Amino acid sequence: MSRDKDTAPTQTASLYESAAKIYPREQAGRFDKLSKLATIVLLGLFYVVPWLNWDERQAVLFDLPARKFYLVGLTLWPQDFPYLALLLIIAALSLFFFTALAGRLWCGFACPQTVWTEAFIWMEQWTEGTRSQRMKLDKAPWSWNKLRRKGSKQFLWITFSLWTGFTFVGYFTSIRQLGLDILDLNVGGWTLFWGVFYGFATYGNAGFMREQVCKYMCPYARFQSAMFDKDTLIISYDEQRGEPRGSRQRSVDHREAGLGDCIDCTLCVQVCPTGIDIRDGLQYDCIACAACIDACDSVMDRMGYPRGLVRYTTEQSMAGKKTRILRPRVFVYATLLLVLIGGLVTSMVTRTPVILDVIRDRNSLYRELPDGMIENIYTLKLINQSNEPRSFRLSVAGVPGLILDGVGDTVDVPGGEILSLPVRTRANRDQAHGIMDITFTVEATDDASITVIEDSRFVGLMP
Amino acid sequence: MIQEEYRGARQWSRNRQAVATVVWISFLSAAIATMLFFAAFDPVELAAMFDIDIGRQGGYAVGFFFFWLLSGLSSGLTAWLIRTAPKRDPQER
Repeated sequence: MSRDKDTAPTQTASLYESAAKIYPREQAGRFDKLSKLATIVLLGLFYVVPWLNWDERQAVLFDLPARKFYLVGLTLWPQDFPYLALLLIIAALSLFFFTALAGRLWCGFACPQTVWTEAFIWMEQWTEGTRSQRMKLDKAPWSWNKLRRKGSKQFLWITFSLWTGFTFVGYFTSIRQLGLDILDLNVGGWTLFWGVFYGFATYGNAGFMREQVCKYMCPYARFQSAMFDKDTLIISYDEQRGEPRGSRQRSVDHREAGLGDCIDCTLCVQVCPTGIDIRDGLQYDCIACAACIDACDSVMDRMGYPRGLVRYTTEQSMAGKKTRILRPRVFVYATLLLVLIGGLVTSMVTRTPVILDVIRDRNSLYRELPDGMIENIYTLKLINQSNEPRSFRLSVAGVPGLILDGVGDTVDVPGGEILSLPVRTRANRDQAHGIMDITFTVEATDDASITVIEDSRFVGLMP
Repeated sequence: MIQEEYRGARQWSRNRQAVATVVWISFLSAAIATMLFFAAFDPVELAAMFDIDIGRQGGYAVGFFFFWLLSGLSSGLTAWLIRTAPKRDPQER
């Protein structure tokens, strides 16, 4: 290896050690295009979605104050929490699945940390310029120009962060109303707090912490290697082809001169947002953003060498073997995913849009009426989870001759509302002895398949 | 030269690493705990049991910070005990 050739100038080293900051170099290329696209689409979704309306209300709203989640046409209640849990498990499994197949795609292109960092770096480039300009600016003493550039960067960052915090809160409380409240300077304390909290987290994570979050704080970065095997897509430097590395003139036949394809231009290191050298082999600091592939390809093009000295590949194919895409690990993840997604969809489709809670009156066991009947009192909570108003027929059974009193033939519940209904049930004293199991049934008048049966108890005369 | 420029760049001290990890991971745990807890319980009803008048938003926030404190305490103590444990005899496994 001819690496020592390049470690000569030490005069700059001390400066960098104290700065100890990574200045990722800008690099055009196919993967840069992909990453820009991913950033624009994902951030675009994040900032636009809360403004979309559906049926006169916000399309996606996790209405915490009202304890209801709106997902386009769907309304979810706290009772639907298992769906959310299942959804999170599916998300985690998909992450495992894609990691096994294609490595750290998530880290490189979809993780909020990556995506927001990318956006912050754009703002940095607009205000402070290219990598070398930024390094020079940081080293330069304070001047009007430096103040202006740094000031506009901070202005952009802070404005963007505050907007991010505002948007985040807009997922949990009506964003349009929130916007009006802000214009009126009339924002609730907690709303303001969470907005500033999230904005500050964005500012700190995307502006300053950046790769340190991935290196030191991200659990996924540490355990993703457990999902890796020899057939997983990784970004790798082709050592056999590249070494021995070294600078050379384009006219020289480097093979004859005993050199590999790597010209040791260090561009792959300069573009790396986590500051590693991909030529040192697979490292867990690598977030697979593929910037080094773009950098190396551009150099290979200029040198007239074939592309792919740094490329997406697998350990198998590096070793000259065939890569297997379908392997037990992939099957296991895929099967689990299919089963869970199938289960979620089925249970969502067959979900009965009504919930009945029966709460027995705690204050009295039973009451004897003058006409010889025994009476029990309940509160029924009828939740209409659909968005349309519905009317329901209530009935009770379990004790011969049991009757339901206090409600009409049918009860109407507006869409997405809870109706609290005090009811009395009565049975003849000859039939009512001890504690008896009864059932309440609620049936939608327009659709007999929407029926819910709920168990409760009827207390009769005690011996 | 490039090597020197980046090698060792922005390496965190062990203390900083411990603090940041504890704060962050307990934050994640608290977020999950808050979600699970408040899916089952309505903060307004909970507060009413103790005769406290607190809005839902306030209830969520108090719950979240309580969980954060609790899981932070747990993570923090764990990290601290591991880091201050007596040195192991290198002979023994």
